[in-house]
Amino acid sequence: MKNKKKSSIIVLLTALAVFALAPLGMGNYMLRVLNVALITYLCVLSVYVLLGMCGQNSFAQAGLWGVGAYMAANLVLRAGFPPVIALLAATAGTALFAFVLGFAFFRLRQYYFTFASVGLMTILNGLFMNWEPVTGGALGMQNIPKFSVFGIMLESEKANFYFILIICVLTFVVMRILFYSSIGRSFMAIRDNEIAANCMGVNSLLTKSIAFGISGALCGIAGALYAFLSGYLSYQTFTYQQSTMYLIMIMLGGTISPVGAIIGTMIISLLQEFVRPLANYMQLIYGAGIMILMVVQPEGILGGGKALYETLHKRKRTGPDAA
Amino acid sequence: MKHYINEKEPVLTLHNVVKRFGGVTAADHVSFELYGGEVFGLIGPNGSGKTTLINLITGIYSADEGNIMLGGKKVTKLSTHTRSKLGIIRSFQHPRLLGRCDIETNILVGVDLAVRRRLPQARDYQERMNILLETAGLSGVNLKDSTERLSYGQQKMLEIVRAMLSYPKVLLLDEPAAGLNRSEMNYIRALISMATNEGIAVLLIEHAMDLVMEVCNRITVLNFGKQITTGLPSEVQENTAVIEAYLGGGGQLAANQ
Repeated sequence: MKNKKKSSIIVLLTALAVFALAPLGMGNYMLRVLNVALITYLCVLSVYVLLGMCGQNSFAQAGLWGVGAYMAANLVLRAGFPPVIALLAATAGTALFAFVLGFAFFRLRQYYFTFASVGLMTILNGLFMNWEPVTGGALGMQNIPKFSVFGIMLESEKANFYFILIICVLTFVVMRILFYSSIGRSFMAIRDNEIAANCMGVNSLLTKSIAFGISGALCGIAGALYAFLSGYLSYQTFTYQQSTMYLIMIMLGGTISPVGAIIGTMIISLLQEFVRPLANYMQLIYGAGIMILMVVQPEGILGGGKALYETLHKRKRTGPDAA
Repeated sequence: MKHYINEKEPVLTLHNVVKRFGGVTAADHVSFELYGGEVFGLIGPNGSGKTTLINLITGIYSADEGNIMLGGKKVTKLSTHTRSKLGIIRSFQHPRLLGRCDIETNILVGVDLAVRRRLPQARDYQERMNILLETAGLSGVNLKDSTERLSYGQQKMLEIVRAMLSYPKVLLLDEPAAGLNRSEMNYIRALISMATNEGIAVLLIEHAMDLVMEVCNRITVLNFGKQITTGLPSEVQENTAVIEAYLGGGGQLAANQ
């Protein structure tokens, strides 16, 4: 078992090393695509925490992403804060926003939270479009400076790539720690059996709100990174469709581990680039692909890979003693 | 067999607890006390309100009338998770494990509860876990396996191990022996005696009468939500109202055969 863990860490580190070398042979356009994909990964990771770990499905993640983005942009452009502070404040602010809303929403049981999240997404998108003093309304926000820290400005796509990559790796590690912590177990207890969880001392309302808060933090950091990277924010970016896309990505990759979020995000983000001629058919391809996948392998590509691994390495089990 | 009444303060007290579902009274002025270290049996025909009582004690249902006290503290209005943090822990008739998690995670949920209860011994769980797994006949299982690999009986046992790791004051067991074979029943016996040796008050709902008569110190019999009688196992077996409720009159308790 330890060997399995060790080998999966080696696989991940190798993949990371290969990925870190990517900018060497890439133009700025492709690098931008990769940067946006990494930011998207953070949002998909937020779906992993909320849906994969805690069993709560939200359609508002792109809205939270927008909250983080507009918050960071306002803090830099209007309040004059340095980008580092804006990044941290947008992360904390979006987390708090989601946590507080969670306290209201999770009084609703079962799937009603999902309904509420659809409402939240609609309201947020409406605010982004119409709240001119804060979001710039339909014109959006322009001239957001690049991220800078200790006087070093991350001008090039390559510098941004490494910066975003480091944040992605850190959040991945934090999610793994969360998974093995008692909070993570509370999430999974609620996902698997809420009544049993309550009977083992897990407070549903608080725990789900924490999960929504953590997912908000991930979306907030992604939003701030996006604001600094693109320099321009439009309400058309933070849409319901984008939230659905995150769900498609995690369904494709698999909800069982944050690795699923990586796989799903990268496949779909890169697919969109490489099959541009087929752009008109993409919705059809996703839709059909997801339907087939859910029938054949509901745990996504990662779940399929895991099943394959277990078939190939049929371990000799110390089975339960025959009683 | 000891008789615990008057020996010490009760751990759990139910006083005139009433629960109605529409026109049906599932718990009709039920009152009893549970003492530390005793096994209190709750028996009665199907639909007599046994599981409802456990749901009332754990707070999954709220009582319409009456009071539930844990030690000197009134818990009647508290939420389920608060009650479990005070030490009221249960198992379920059909095991409710974390189905997508491995066995170890399921066990650690019990440890987490002990930590939440701020018990000083909570974090040194390894030894207790090994003893419990051994007692439950689960020492051979791979903790990294999914719970789906466990038999039905083993899943029930794992649920009790999980509960025991949180050091309950009151352990509520809802038909732990249902669906188990003879040797698995012995593990249940061993787990119950481990609990009572630790001074835990055990409430046992069970249809396997030989087990009930063997392990219970006192028994209360329910029918249509009402307590027919409460007493020693020998007294209960002789009670004509009980025999009436179980067999519709005439003959001995099925249990005795």
